[in-house]
Amino acid sequence: MARAALPAGGGRQATAGVTLSRLASLVRPANWLPTVLALAAVAGAWQLVASSTTAIIPTLGAIWSAFAGHTVALFANGGDTLAEALPGLAISYVVAIVLAVAMSQSRVVTRAVLPLAVALNVSPIIAFAPPLSIAFGLGRAPRVVLAAVITFFPSLINAIVGLGSADQGALEVFQTLHASRWETLWRLRLPASLPYLFAAARISAPLSLVGAAVAEMVLGGTNVGLGIWINTASANAQLNLAWAGIAVLAFFGLLLTGLVAGLEAWVLKRRGFR
Amino acid sequence: MAPPSAEPPARPTGWSAPGPEGHILLEGVTKRFAALGWPALDNVDLSIPRGCFFTVIGPSGAGKSTLLRILAGLAAPDGGRVSIFGEPPRQASRAKHLGWVPQSPALLPWRTVAENVRLPLQVNRAARCEARDPEEILARVGLTHARNMLPSQLSGGMRQRVAIARAFAFLPRVLLMDEPFGALDEMTREHMAHLLLELWQADRPTVVFVTHSVAEAVLLSDRVAVLGQGRLSAPVEVDLGRPRPEGIEDSERFYQLTSSLRAQLRQAFLGAGG
Repeated sequence: MARAALPAGGGRQATAGVTLSRLASLVRPANWLPTVLALAAVAGAWQLVASSTTAIIPTLGAIWSAFAGHTVALFANGGDTLAEALPGLAISYVVAIVLAVAMSQSRVVTRAVLPLAVALNVSPIIAFAPPLSIAFGLGRAPRVVLAAVITFFPSLINAIVGLGSADQGALEVFQTLHASRWETLWRLRLPASLPYLFAAARISAPLSLVGAAVAEMVLGGTNVGLGIWINTASANAQLNLAWAGIAVLAFFGLLLTGLVAGLEAWVLKRRGFR
Repeated sequence: MAPPSAEPPARPTGWSAPGPEGHILLEGVTKRFAALGWPALDNVDLSIPRGCFFTVIGPSGAGKSTLLRILAGLAAPDGGRVSIFGEPPRQASRAKHLGWVPQSPALLPWRTVAENVRLPLQVNRAARCEARDPEEILARVGLTHARNMLPSQLSGGMRQRVAIARAFAFLPRVLLMDEPFGALDEMTREHMAHLLLELWQADRPTVVFVTHSVAEAVLLSDRVAVLGQGRLSAPVEVDLGRPRPEGIEDSERFYQLTSSLRAQLRQAFLGAGG
């Protein structure tokens, strides 16, 4: 056991070394300067256009003032949109994985489900909002459903690809051992699909916010959420408030993406994929 | 290391229990691929007695892997008959009589070394097989210290040792090995060949081994056959004694055998248009 402890200690040192080298690489201008320059260029162009068309595009200063004056309200509404997006995301994710597993086991299920999923994907999702509000009322339910619908296809496709991504050599080992379909699914296909399930989450998480916000804009109803905020501010010609709402929505999208990416890096490293 | 009491006879006597029960038999086996201008296997007849270490060498694209895949039940022949000690490959696989070592180690990246070695014991439990203690086999391949490491933390040679330990863990009657050392450097390859010999000497499963290396084939095998353009040559008997004496690679007989096989291989290579 003492021998086994040695690599673990070495591993800790190696991990510390890797963390330090990562920090060092972040400080290197080549890693951050392009982003800063691109942001500065966009901000400069924005200011240039905004200064001549203040009625259409507010200046960055005006947007910042609107944000600073309504921070609590903006984040409260952002929280409401998030509270609609996350259940929608969870529902679509679970349904997509269950369907992908069923499809990986049966061609009949694949032939039945895939055309429907593709049809759903190419349909204009916004058009679903009015009938959904009739079916589910004007509360949060249709917003959750729309968030689920918009995130369903990327989750399903990634889950299908992930379940088919198992190493060919490993599949042959399972085959020569005469492993059952269930054993191959549980011990090989599902664990091997983990990187693809995370890729699905990275795409779907911010998309669920888009679905929820669009549902708020189209459906109205419950008077909370950033979609309602942006709509109302635009209707009242308070464009600085509308843009502040958009910025907060983007912030939540980035936050979700960052959280998923962080969890992905941690889990995939622990599971030996990286 | 095999215990001295388990030392096998210098030459495997009683190999050929008469009849198909004592042999792996291929009779008139043919396999064609549309993309190839000639059959991958052309009316191949082969008889491998139980306990024999049989190696097939040949140029790339000669049909070596196809032959092995047919024996493993991973591919069906277009014509002819295959029998593994009296039963068809699918039945041998169902009874867990086949061990498969592919070109890549095909380890499951999320499983530790010990968990990878234990895998064959966890699938197809309905098949009764003699199981070896995974810890014992890990000790024999010198990987006890790495038992809790993930494949991503191992070198190429260590990964291949895990793949071999996995194949020996459930004591299959037949081991099918498809260029398992092909991706390793010369020194590691040599070390792995000796390790394989040690493991094989202890249990004496029947081995069908595919390689590009003539020296490796002579060192390991009881019989070597050359496959070129789908045709299998008459097997060459390797009369070097078992266990292989120290420094056998430098003996005159070893040189004669490798020279003779190289000449056959050259002919097969020229025949393949090389």
